[in-house]
Amino acid sequence: MRIKAKEKDGIVSVKAGLKHPMLSYDQAKKKGEEANFIVYILGKVGDDIVYEASTSQFLSKNPFIKFKFKGKAGEELELSWVDLKGNKKSKKVKIK
Amino acid sequence: MERRKFLGLGLGAAAISLAPVSLMAKNYREALPDVWKIKNKDVENDLTGTNEAIKAIFGTDKTEEGKIKLKAPDIAENGAVVPVSFKTDKATRIALLQTANPEALVAIWDIPERGIPDYGVRIKMAKTGTVTVVAEIDGKLYRASKVVKVTAGGCGG
Repeated sequence: MRIKAKEKDGIVSVKAGLKHPMLSYDQAKKKGEEANFIVYILGKVGDDIVYEASTSQFLSKNPFIKFKFKGKAGEELELSWVDLKGNKKSKKVKIK
Repeated sequence: MERRKFLGLGLGAAAISLAPVSLMAKNYREALPDVWKIKNKDVENDLTGTNEAIKAIFGTDKTEEGKIKLKAPDIAENGAVVPVSFKTDKATRIALLQTANPEALVAIWDIPERGIPDYGVRIKMAKTGTVTVVAEIDGKLYRASKVVKVTAGGCGG
């Protein structure tokens, strides 16, 4: 997971690249594999939720997301995801 | 009898104290498992599936124009990676849908208190279709749509 989080005037802009094949049902059928894709992405600063997305098979492979929230440089952003099969990943970065 | 009453009250209090937590984080794959299965009709730019999904998520598909800025390419040379971004001043919930894939729904966002609804994603489009963003703002639904012409499909692998 690659995350860039930058603050300006109290607004944090985030760009994140998540690593996942995002295999849709159609793609999986063609490959003879099981469909699997990220279904939920959560961004947190401490106990505060700052980003929350429920996602589908139609996000591109290795999803790239952009979002903004109210925050400050120095705070720690934790981004996590879970896929259809229950695999989880999370990463923390300091907001610059 | 007294004891039973007491236990009943205890359970009620527990349910109430749990409520805000479940409101804070919502995974729509678990909360609304069926909305992700709503199919598009195999007719270019047909909005039947889109409207059905909007109704299933928000309770109605009556929407107004305006308040949302939607950005998507006029022509996508690669349907596997179509950048879509959208922006509103405020919103409580946003859904992204399209008519180009077998199912209509792409994603649902709950906008947290610290959230600023200025979001972007990259999506797959198997063919030319209409991309729609619906945002719940002050209890009303707003919609923005755009046709994206896809010259190479996104479901090849």
